[in-house]
Amino acid sequence: MNKEQVFEVITRHVCEVIPKLEEYQFKFDDSMRDLGANSIDRSEIIMMTLESLSLNIPLIEIARAENMGELASILHEKL
Amino acid sequence: MKSSEQSKLVVSGVGVTSSIGQGKSEFTSALLEGKHNFSVMKRPGRQYSPSQKDNVDNLQQSTSFLGAEIPDLSMPDSIPKGLLRTASFSAQVALATLDEAWNDAKLHDVDPKRIGLIVGGSNFQQRELVQTHQAYQNRLPFVRPTYAMSFMDSDLCGLCSEVFGIRGFAYTLGGASASGQVAIIQAIQAVESGQVDVCIAMGALMDLSYWECQGFRALGAMGSDKYATEPALAARPFDQNRDGFIYGESCGVVVIERSSAISRKDIMLYARLSGCGMGMDGNRNPNPSLDGEVDVIETALNQSNLRAKDIDYINPHGTGSLIGDETELKAINLCGVSHAHINATKSIIGHGLSAAGAVEIIATLMQMKAGKLHPTRNLHDPMESSFNWVQSESITHKIKNALNMSMGFGGVNTAICLQNL
Repeated sequence: MNKEQVFEVITRHVCEVIPKLEEYQFKFDDSMRDLGANSIDRSEIIMMTLESLSLNIPLIEIARAENMGELASILHEKL
Repeated sequence: MKSSEQSKLVVSGVGVTSSIGQGKSEFTSALLEGKHNFSVMKRPGRQYSPSQKDNVDNLQQSTSFLGAEIPDLSMPDSIPKGLLRTASFSAQVALATLDEAWNDAKLHDVDPKRIGLIVGGSNFQQRELVQTHQAYQNRLPFVRPTYAMSFMDSDLCGLCSEVFGIRGFAYTLGGASASGQVAIIQAIQAVESGQVDVCIAMGALMDLSYWECQGFRALGAMGSDKYATEPALAARPFDQNRDGFIYGESCGVVVIERSSAISRKDIMLYARLSGCGMGMDGNRNPNPSLDGEVDVIETALNQSNLRAKDIDYINPHGTGSLIGDETELKAINLCGVSHAHINATKSIIGHGLSAAGAVEIIATLMQMKAGKLHPTRNLHDPMESSFNWVQSESITHKIKNALNMSMGFGGVNTAICLQNL
């Protein structure tokens, strides 16, 4: 799985949690917070993504991600 | 309830979701026709399925509990889809049912700080919990963060207050199978005391998993051994051949306020809440108490300033329980109200447990409005032939004063009198 595919997994879960973003064209520098995801939404999206990727890692390791692209990079490195 | 105040309390809105229909009009026409949806239950988590385990011993443990499930839940567009993803089935039904009552009573025109919500029931999301535990049994680190919110019954209060903007108060209250009526009684008191102007009482959908079904069967409370292969015949309150209650999914919402305080236009008032009674038996067990039932009926009649002969319709608790039904008929006899027309809503929709008290108040209100009484399914051989049963067909009757009872495990007794306006 490459970084783009990890990014797609993230965006799929963002849409599940915030259905109004279904038509939205996601970019690497999008921030989930700016797209309307509150802290509960963000933790839910991250957990769903980790489950989809079967990645059991401490959440602290992904806390430094500034945007969705960085999140995809960090997760991709852990695969 | 103070007699000077009681005449002013009315029901100004209702919402109902059940196995025979969603919304008051669908519910009422199905009720009057005696339609039903009893079958072997199919909702995931309602039956123990041996295929879940590879142990051969488990093959003998498969279950086929009977009940009446809601066929299709339709969610109003006004409820945000993002919220529904993490809302339990009980919560989704609560939102849809409250939406009906909210619009019925036009509550968008009431100061949200003067509206309260009481959700009757406790531990009502059991099937969701079992489903989650099963799904994450071997994936514990991936349990969704929102599980920490949704496992609580009070999540319904959070969801409902967010969606509808309720700012007064919202809490859950448990009274076992009397929860719906206890919520209504508490709502009456909240309006009477001036805590809020409008109080919404909900009987929440109790979402049983196969664990609770098995427990109720083991206790001898839930039927049906006699009608295991004939689900349509299993729910038979007050019939000589009854063998326990049959579960039914439902949720009921009742809006209570003072008629004199309503300034909104075009509000249909359903009935006056003329009196109520609640009392405990001092008994943790499920068995009923004749004294306890008689007490609450008499309290409700006294508060209503009614004599026994004034009651012309009874909507009893009537579950199909062997001792429960017998005790209830004795209480009706002792209170001198056995002349009144009587039917059993649970013969049509099953036993909603936490929801039952509220849904049966709505069934009473709908019959009052329709000028008709619904049939009692499967009442072929009534335990007391001298009672004024509505049996296989609905009848025309304009209710003046109705008496409605609920009983719950742990010695809970409630009774409410409703007066036609």
